[in-house]
Amino acid sequence: MRFFRQLVLAIAALAVVVAYSPQVSAQSGKPIKIGFSMALTGVLGAGGKSALIAMEIWRDDVNKKGGLLGRPVELVYYDDATTPAKVPAIYTKLLNVDKVDLVVSSYGTDVIAPAMPIVMRSGKVFLGLFGLDVNHKFKYDRYFQIMPAGPNPAQDWSRGFFDIAKEKGLKSVAIAGADAEFAQNAVKGARANAKQDGLNIVYDKSFPPSTADFTPILRAIQATNPDIIYFGSYPANSVGIVKAANELGLKAKLVGGGMVGLQFAAIMKNLGPGLNNLVNYDFWVPAKTLKFPGIDEFLKKYQAAAAGKGVDLLGHYLPPWAYAYMQVLGQSVEATKSLDDKKLAEYIHKTTFNTVVGPVKFGKNGEWATSRALMIQFRGVKANNLDQFKMEGTRVVLKPDTVKSGDIMFPYKQ
Amino acid sequence: MKVSGFWIGIVLMLAAGFVLAGVADNQFLFFAGYVILQGLIMAVAWNVLGGFTGYVNFGSAGFFAIGAYTAIALHQFAELPLLVLIVIAGIVCGLIGLGTGYLTLRLRGVYFAIATLAMAIVFESLITNWDYVGGSAGAYVITPAEVPFFDSFIEMMFILMLVLSLICVAVSRYLSMSRMGRGLASIRDDETAAECMGVPTLRLKLISTTVMGVMMGVAGAPFPFFVTYINPLSAFDLLIAVNAIAMPMIGGTAVWFGPVIGALLLGTIQQIVTVTISSELNILIVGAVLIAFVALAPRGIVGLFQDFARKRREGGK
Repeated sequence: MRFFRQLVLAIAALAVVVAYSPQVSAQSGKPIKIGFSMALTGVLGAGGKSALIAMEIWRDDVNKKGGLLGRPVELVYYDDATTPAKVPAIYTKLLNVDKVDLVVSSYGTDVIAPAMPIVMRSGKVFLGLFGLDVNHKFKYDRYFQIMPAGPNPAQDWSRGFFDIAKEKGLKSVAIAGADAEFAQNAVKGARANAKQDGLNIVYDKSFPPSTADFTPILRAIQATNPDIIYFGSYPANSVGIVKAANELGLKAKLVGGGMVGLQFAAIMKNLGPGLNNLVNYDFWVPAKTLKFPGIDEFLKKYQAAAAGKGVDLLGHYLPPWAYAYMQVLGQSVEATKSLDDKKLAEYIHKTTFNTVVGPVKFGKNGEWATSRALMIQFRGVKANNLDQFKMEGTRVVLKPDTVKSGDIMFPYKQ
Repeated sequence: MKVSGFWIGIVLMLAAGFVLAGVADNQFLFFAGYVILQGLIMAVAWNVLGGFTGYVNFGSAGFFAIGAYTAIALHQFAELPLLVLIVIAGIVCGLIGLGTGYLTLRLRGVYFAIATLAMAIVFESLITNWDYVGGSAGAYVITPAEVPFFDSFIEMMFILMLVLSLICVAVSRYLSMSRMGRGLASIRDDETAAECMGVPTLRLKLISTTVMGVMMGVAGAPFPFFVTYINPLSAFDLLIAVNAIAMPMIGGTAVWFGPVIGALLLGTIQQIVTVTISSELNILIVGAVLIAFVALAPRGIVGLFQDFARKRREGGK
């Protein structure tokens, strides 16, 4: 009987201790709501879905550790269908009706920019996901963008590509870009870099974003006999370019640049050896120089969650950055012990954050203080094999020098 | 009596808008309301040519975008007041509408519809390659944080759109109920017969296309200030053209209030769906509702009510 009484007392004491432990109180507090619109359908739908998976992984990770400020985190989001016209109303609803505590952006310039005036008027800190130079007009000192394109995004984006050209003593360049927002900004930056380096621009034309057959365009470029070919293209274009380049046997010595899509698992698997020796931008690839704490665990969770959802299976391109911009926000809230936007913005400006994509430091305009846009080269890619891209070696980091993982295979030849 | 009833309705709607602006704290209502009213103007405009005159315009997004880009170009050139931009955009799109009217000299039916679609594509290509208005990279507009007489910029935009909508509805009603409206209806029913009966078909068609152009331009001009970032993809959005056709088809094309009913109904559903289910469902909903109406009630909601009322009358006898 006595033993039974002692047992009951012990259980009661344990219950009291557990009840007042931080983890349990975290789950019982009023949730911190983080609101955003996301491109879950429309042109950027596949990317947006993969970003959302990453953000949900972050939410679960944070909640498992007791939430933020001892409160659980809740994501409140709406699909903007990659349509700019839907964004102002969504952010107004998030701020006025849903009364979210914090806001982050959707994926891509087109859907970040329309949210800016709404967010600016509310004075909220605004974390951006892959917006290209959105803040150059707004100049909002509480905007921070996670894509590592650097303080002068359009030009810094392709700087590494032209540094390689300079090192190899190349003289002439052909520039071709799709007629749409990102690609035109990319070729604008490439043009500025080419002029800065005194290169002879022998071809400089645009093509409609719907172009799939690039044989005529590549023939026209080939006729100008350039040393370098810089493309600013969207996924469908990039596939067409790689296929046409293989068919025609391009003679240029350095080919690639700003080709979107060549970072996506399905496209890389599909193009296989056709990718070899292309030099293209990327933001994260498996390399010893880019093994940041937490990235492997994150990718493991992402790849498990992504299976069967029709999104990128590797998750190397966008998801780590979607996780990282939430980490920046979460770390700021914990460090300032506050949801006050002024305090958060001041903290983000002065801090270097440790994230799954490495150390992140923002500059004055809210872009990365220094660019870490990678120039990678495809090497030894085999046909129809997705797993090869999980390992180091098929994508060698050439630039920037701080994270270089190998030397260039030069010149480009198929 | 009917006329005064209409004008009382207009004044009441306007008063309701001002009351809403005065009492509502929820800014989301103004954003959602703006989008619905923008759709309403587009629907009313489309119906002037498509419903009253019988000429189907697939290039509505082109007129809308030209209105938007006229405002952008003038805003870049000199920061003119929004009202001036709207007037000039209306004139520019009216002139393009007038040009479209001359197309009807040679093109009718499906060929006219294809020509309007092609025209929108031509305009999109021109805008995409015109760097002054941002080209394919798009253009930004910084809107003022404070505006006189209103609590916020979006409140002002909502009231502006409400006033423009009511003007467009009044013009559409006048066209429909006047002598001119009967002329337009005769063109819709049989253009050759109308011509033989002495109806000035070309003049009426030119008026019809010009009015349509002006209204669509007026709807498009404030758009860059609403969205603050505009690129050719969003200005020439397919959904704008699809909505402009679907709303009158659902409401009923034969009468002036058909597109108003269709726009209010479909626009409200779309806004609710965006924040409850999924934005992409909007397009599915428009498509499904449109197919249902075309197949089951080709004269729209107004036609359904008219049939219902007629059957009740006949039943009563």
